[in-house]
Amino acid sequence: MPEPSHAAHRASSARRRADLKAFGPFIALAALIVLGAVVNPVFLTPGNLINVLTRTAFTGIIAIGGTFIITTGGIDLSVGSLAAFASGIMIIVMNALTPQGLPPFLVVLLGTLAVMALSVFSGLVNGLLITRGRIEPFIVTLGTMGIFRSLVTYAANGGTLSLNTQIRGYYRPVYYGDILGITYPILVFAVVAAIGAIVLYRTRFGRYVTATGANEEVARYSAIHVDRIKLAAYGLQGLCVGLAVFLYVPRLGSASATTGLGWELEAIAAVIIGGTLMKGGSARIWGTVAGAIILALIDNILNLTGAISVYLNSAIQGCIIIIAVLVQRDAKSRP
Amino acid sequence: MKFTIGLAALAVGMMIAASPAGAADKKVLGVSIPAATHGWAGGLNWHAQQAKIELEKKYPDLTIALVTAGDATRQANDLEDLVQVRKIDALVILPFESAPLTEPVRQVKNAGKWVTIVDRGLTDPSIQDLYVAGNNPQMGTNSADFMVKKLGGKGNIVILRGIPTVIDNQRFDAFMDVVKKTDIKVLDSKYANWNRDDGFKVMQDFLARFPKIDAVWAQDDDITLGVIEAVKQAGRDKDMWILGGAGMKEMIKRVMDKDTLVPADVLYPPKMIADAMELTAKHLMEGAKLEKQYIIDATLVTPDNAKQYYYPDSSF
Amino acid sequence: MLAGVGIAKSFGPVQVLFGVDFAVDAGEVHALVGENGAGKSTLMKILAGYQPASSGTILVNGTPVSLRNSEVAERHGIVMIHQEFNLAETMTVAENIFLGREIIRRCLIDRPAMRQASARVLAELECSVDPDARISDLSVSEKQMVEIAKAVSRDVRVLIMDEPTAVLTGAETEVLFRLIRRLTTQGVGVVYISHKLNEVKAISDRVTVLRDGRLIVTEATGAVTPDDIARLMVGRDMSDMYPQQHRPSDNAPVVLTVEGVSVPGWVEGASFDLRRGEILGFAGLIGAGRTELMEGVVGLRSRSAGRVTAGGAKSIRSYDEAIAAGIAYLTEDRKKRGLLVDKPLTPNLTLLALPRYGRIFIDLAAEREAMDKAIDAFEIKASDIEMKVSSLSGGNQQKLLLAKIMQVEPKILIVDEPTRGIDVGTKHQIYLFLDEFARAGGSVIVISSEMPELIGLAHRVVVMREGRVTGALTGGDIDETNIVRYATGLSGVGADA
Repeated sequence: MPEPSHAAHRASSARRRADLKAFGPFIALAALIVLGAVVNPVFLTPGNLINVLTRTAFTGIIAIGGTFIITTGGIDLSVGSLAAFASGIMIIVMNALTPQGLPPFLVVLLGTLAVMALSVFSGLVNGLLITRGRIEPFIVTLGTMGIFRSLVTYAANGGTLSLNTQIRGYYRPVYYGDILGITYPILVFAVVAAIGAIVLYRTRFGRYVTATGANEEVARYSAIHVDRIKLAAYGLQGLCVGLAVFLYVPRLGSASATTGLGWELEAIAAVIIGGTLMKGGSARIWGTVAGAIILALIDNILNLTGAISVYLNSAIQGCIIIIAVLVQRDAKSRP
Repeated sequence: MKFTIGLAALAVGMMIAASPAGAADKKVLGVSIPAATHGWAGGLNWHAQQAKIELEKKYPDLTIALVTAGDATRQANDLEDLVQVRKIDALVILPFESAPLTEPVRQVKNAGKWVTIVDRGLTDPSIQDLYVAGNNPQMGTNSADFMVKKLGGKGNIVILRGIPTVIDNQRFDAFMDVVKKTDIKVLDSKYANWNRDDGFKVMQDFLARFPKIDAVWAQDDDITLGVIEAVKQAGRDKDMWILGGAGMKEMIKRVMDKDTLVPADVLYPPKMIADAMELTAKHLMEGAKLEKQYIIDATLVTPDNAKQYYYPDSSF
Repeated sequence: MLAGVGIAKSFGPVQVLFGVDFAVDAGEVHALVGENGAGKSTLMKILAGYQPASSGTILVNGTPVSLRNSEVAERHGIVMIHQEFNLAETMTVAENIFLGREIIRRCLIDRPAMRQASARVLAELECSVDPDARISDLSVSEKQMVEIAKAVSRDVRVLIMDEPTAVLTGAETEVLFRLIRRLTTQGVGVVYISHKLNEVKAISDRVTVLRDGRLIVTEATGAVTPDDIARLMVGRDMSDMYPQQHRPSDNAPVVLTVEGVSVPGWVEGASFDLRRGEILGFAGLIGAGRTELMEGVVGLRSRSAGRVTAGGAKSIRSYDEAIAAGIAYLTEDRKKRGLLVDKPLTPNLTLLALPRYGRIFIDLAAEREAMDKAIDAFEIKASDIEMKVSSLSGGNQQKLLLAKIMQVEPKILIVDEPTRGIDVGTKHQIYLFLDEFARAGGSVIVISSEMPELIGLAHRVVVMREGRVTGALTGGDIDETNIVRYATGLSGVGADA
């Protein structure tokens, strides 16, 4: 009977397609690196690569949190605005503490704690509105996106909040400093990604996040507290935003209404380029990392060449994003 | 507030005719400006607020209705409200975009209101009673002149542009017209969206790409802030200098303090909204005769005159 | 008027209809009865053009026709009203009645004309529904009226109704019957599918019984009693399918007590208890509230009243507590509620019992070991352990789901339609498993719509009807006739007869 072998063959070829799908973002990343090297040899210099990766860290870290949110079947549009608001609050807190004669270490520590508390709290508010309030995540976070953006504009009186120069000098190395040439933001990004991968793939919480997004009813019938899982995911996203802000503030030492503008879309794009399904239930942390780097590389490569009209930048970005996702979707279109 | 700064033309052009006839009436002045979504617009809002307080104190019979909008469509809606609900007598508007707001402003004009246009001209200039604006081409020219002089007519520069708009094109084209005639080489120009983070990113990549840069034209002080950080990080702050624009207080301070990285700044002051409001109020309350248009010079700020343009209390 | 001759239908290798003859004449009500899965709906879908027959001939007024789709059938005047209504909820009554054949005047929809025509049809049906009312604002019976109005306005000659009274109250059923009688005097032939045998007796002229996809009998309704019909619907010998029954001792301790449980909208004051070693069957029609009662018992649905205790004094309120008390529930809907069909086998197996695989981190080795054990114990056939659950056969999915539930080592197993949609071999395996589980001191509650299954497995059968427990059968009293009598309201609490 040819049946079983045929079935087995079908299953294994389906698996091979799945594998290809998982490698998709890394193939796209490799292709982009080759492209970069061709466009300008400067691209491959350690200095340039370190710059790009350091810049990627903020949206990358936020995208790790976003991977959890999207895996539960949700979405968070408020992260960019929250980053701006949290940056503003951090600057205000540290500026207020500096004249108190506290040692700079303590000032930065307290500022960081304030940011973490605020970010996690804001994430939990999103989560509560979604789970208890029974409002669509898209609507909740669209609302909080506007609220956070307004609050930072208000806090900055429409202008820019600037960090006290004295404390800035002390805090600056958090962004610019390095260990063996690898800057701190890159190290933090790597650690966050590794922790994210462990949590998602190896812990009960991660399994529950995936199950919730794959099928909420099945999760409920498996004695999983779906609401608590979602709430925790939004809290986690808040934590990631807080961490990104901690790394971001020392870069320019300022926050304004334009801080973090569009980060939410970049983070979501990184997650989706990485192969995580928009509808939830399937997560790829390392894909997200690749996705975030891909997005930053596109910018970098376009800046390193004068061959393409600057008016077309966004078109090139759009094309590369769509191609990167297309590579993975080929297997899905077939029934 | 001081209303003399950068407005020599204004003082001359203003002929104050005493006409107390209208002074007894209650008047409403409508002011419509974009919301504070970036630094310059933030300064705009701050100056508008300040002017509102000052003017309402000065003219007890004057009410100023100040509204901000996030996009052109909302601004057009605001105009209807100002006319219908707030019953304004005159309008001061900084249009989000020229074309989409031309017709809505025409409606205001047809309703018999005084119209003052600020910064961005409408596609039909016949609508406006008064036009107050900074000088974008002049900003480009003045910036270029300073660069050519300081570089001695040769060297490598990079340009960080703003957001693709008419304003940006006017500045850029005027700048290039001057620079083209010299031996200065423009290595490349990229958009940095009048944003600090984008300024930082683009400059990092320029620094990686070009080993020798003598000067940077950032044309906006928000971008300049990002550029400064990138240059410092690369340790090349001794090799080049940056020319920004707008008149942000931090930049004016640096110029005042003779910072070698930022030797000068070119004004494009958000304070123009306050000037426009004051002129319109003067006309409304005192019947002052006004010129048809006031163009505010894109003055070059150097350590010599920086003190005049420094507003430590402004948000910009 | 409409006749099917030798209709047969197979879905893949499974044959569900075997050469059935069925005819409906003008002006008659022809009832079609049979157990779930007997093939009634399939037969009617074929006659109404929704599905093609594998073989056989359809005749309209004696002429063979090909009903390629439901529109073609409709052109022949054949309309089927499904159990789940086919109405656009957000549109008005008039818009629904004329859906797809709107009255057009000068390129625009002529609303007044449609409204008038709808009002005329509704008036004919003695129905007071406003043509401008939105469907979503109507009651279930009103929706049914709209469905019928829609059919009548399409010049219906054969009206097929699938369980039309399942959702209606007694008074509403009376209205429906009057309507059916009026339609028949106008020469419309009506096919009436129902489980409610006293209704069948009251309304129909002829009755056809299907069993396991075969025609058992077509008889004038006057010549048979509801009990006769019930016997004809069942009555097959499946004795070797089920394990030899053991009897739990009469004084075996009670392990689960359910008192006065109400689930809003579904169950009203249900009580029963379960003994150690017992297999307790739950019988009833679809919608009788058995699933909802059990979900209420284990805390998956909120209860408005009642206590559930299993050993402890505290009433069980959440599924967590139920599992902690040794109760596990196997859902009837394995694809929507039971398994993550897009995931591989292992995460599915351990999802319910995941706390047993580590507090924070999952012990992946232990998981793999459990998977191997489950594959052996439940004979799950998977060509690749990494394959998605959706590519398993229904029977293997069901065995995986059972293995998943058993991961929490329950003492009380509540299984809801445990053999739905699976092959005979796997059914047999599941019966053996449940029997062994009970012999080893576990207790089982089986909800099933397949009566032979209950008779073959259960020591005692509780019957539910319309959200209430109407009776309990033990020993020799457990037979299909008795179950049908309680389930359809011929016997027990609130019997109609």
